[in-house]
Amino acid sequence: MTAVIEARGLAKVYGATRALDGASFGVEAGRIVGLIGPNGAGKTTALKAILGLTPFSGELSVLGLDPRTQRDELMREVCFMADVAVLPRWLRVSQALDFVGGVHVRFERARATDFLRRTDIRMESRVRELSKGMVTQLHLALILAIDARLLVLDEPTLGLDLLYRRKFYDTLLNDYFDKQRTILLTTHQVEEVENLFTDVIFINHGRVALSSSVEDLGARYQQVNVSAEAAPRARALQPFYEREVFGRVAMYFEGRTPAELGALGELRTPSIADLFVAKMQGAVSP
Amino acid sequence: MNSPAAEVPGTDRPAAAPAGAGTRRTLLTLVRREFWEHRALWIAPLATAVLLALCAIPPHVRVDLGDPEGGLGRYFDQQKVALFTLVQWGLSVPLYCLMIFLVSFYLLDCLYAERKDRSILFWKSLPVSDGLTVASKLLVALVIVPLGVFALALAAHLAFSLIWAARVALGNAPAVLSWDTLAWARLEIAMLLGLGLGVLWYAPFAAYLLLVSAWARRNAFLWAALPPVLAPLLERLAFGTRYLGHLIGYRMGGIWQTLALGHERILSHNMRLHSLGSLLGELNFRGAFTDIDLWLGVAVAAALVFAAARIRRYRDDT
Repeated sequence: MTAVIEARGLAKVYGATRALDGASFGVEAGRIVGLIGPNGAGKTTALKAILGLTPFSGELSVLGLDPRTQRDELMREVCFMADVAVLPRWLRVSQALDFVGGVHVRFERARATDFLRRTDIRMESRVRELSKGMVTQLHLALILAIDARLLVLDEPTLGLDLLYRRKFYDTLLNDYFDKQRTILLTTHQVEEVENLFTDVIFINHGRVALSSSVEDLGARYQQVNVSAEAAPRARALQPFYEREVFGRVAMYFEGRTPAELGALGELRTPSIADLFVAKMQGAVSP
Repeated sequence: MNSPAAEVPGTDRPAAAPAGAGTRRTLLTLVRREFWEHRALWIAPLATAVLLALCAIPPHVRVDLGDPEGGLGRYFDQQKVALFTLVQWGLSVPLYCLMIFLVSFYLLDCLYAERKDRSILFWKSLPVSDGLTVASKLLVALVIVPLGVFALALAAHLAFSLIWAARVALGNAPAVLSWDTLAWARLEIAMLLGLGLGVLWYAPFAAYLLLVSAWARRNAFLWAALPPVLAPLLERLAFGTRYLGHLIGYRMGGIWQTLALGHERILSHNMRLHSLGSLLGELNFRGAFTDIDLWLGVAVAAALVFAAARIRRYRDDT
């Protein structure tokens, strides 16, 4: 496996806020990585550092390049989509295709027009005339047509309805993703896309709280739903987070074996969303 | 559109085209983009040029050049050439005034608007350097629009002359304009040189507007307008001197004094019209283009543009 992103000790201070506080992580080629964190955790700052949009301290290599000094080379291999609002409102659909085709060597116009033909978007429309969902589709059409090695998506489906969100991720997975490409994605709607991820990175207070492949998560983390009577016995095994669900207590453990936990109650692999809540809440009140 | 992959057979990933060709293609696309966004840059001059050409149509024109009889025939012919060049010059003035207005607002807006509407994150997601982006805007403001306006002024005058000639032929307008190709060409060249001189002389102002556009987080207009007004005022209050005020005043009009050295009353000699074609010979273009202050200004402009590109490097939508 080759590393697409290697970050060590990323730090960035905005005034009195430490947006990034020594974050270290790696992303390997051919993965779909979810960068997940609460509001203000430093996700967007981390993405901006990766894309060379903001100065920072620490070591960072993206596709073997330093985003601070080699941004122009980097952008030939990297695509990104900030969120739905960044396509200029005066731009026509045909102009968007002309522009990207004119500045990007790796843009294949036919791919974009094929995709747009399957939508309600007309070539002569301006962005301001399109709905939010259609603007995202247009942006997606541009990205699908660019042969990039790394795609960075920051809340790409923010404010879209469920149908558009579902279509967006289906297209991404079926028409875009392959083993040569890497996708780094942040989103608040973790439940919806957790099946998409091959890896997750949890980030909180500018630091990496967890970084793992999804396969390894099942081996490392366990959730047991125990009855109230069994709770004290389970607590002896030091869960890092617990919450009450329908009269039972869901407890989250790290590094325990099924043999240790099986007797306590119903053993499950926690969902990424549950694990995220557990990790974040657990970090606040251990 | 050609597939770039077709030009590089035998590679599975299209290699980057030769740097020069790629840059030229990118720059051309960036320039087109400016005219998509700022449509006033071409619509307003075009509409004005059409209106100016149509100025030849209104009826009831009376031009008094004196009595053609009574031994003044030669003088009368000169007057008709002079009036012809005066129309040629007069039709271009409104276009150049409009251009100064359009280009100033364009420069102040071009790097500011992309942050205001957050589209900078889209532009920056593409492999276009900040230097090339800023260069494309400067190219539009200082080369493409001025040359386009020059061509429009020329076309408006030709159309005006044609309409006028047709009216004269129909006996519905007085034959007071007489076409003189040499005088026409000489005045066009003089205006083109004057345009080039103006672009170079005002380049520091253009670069200053571009810098403010890249730098201001809000109220770009105020940030552009206040320093040239407040700085001389503060200088007077603090030191009692007026260097800044004089400098700004000089940079406003200085070069035209050099150009017109000894010819302050060019339009009229001895109370009669004078062909403007002679401007080419009379004006001090050599002296103006070799003026050290002109090139010092260009150097300052280059530094400001470089600073604007550096500022855009780490500007985003915040």
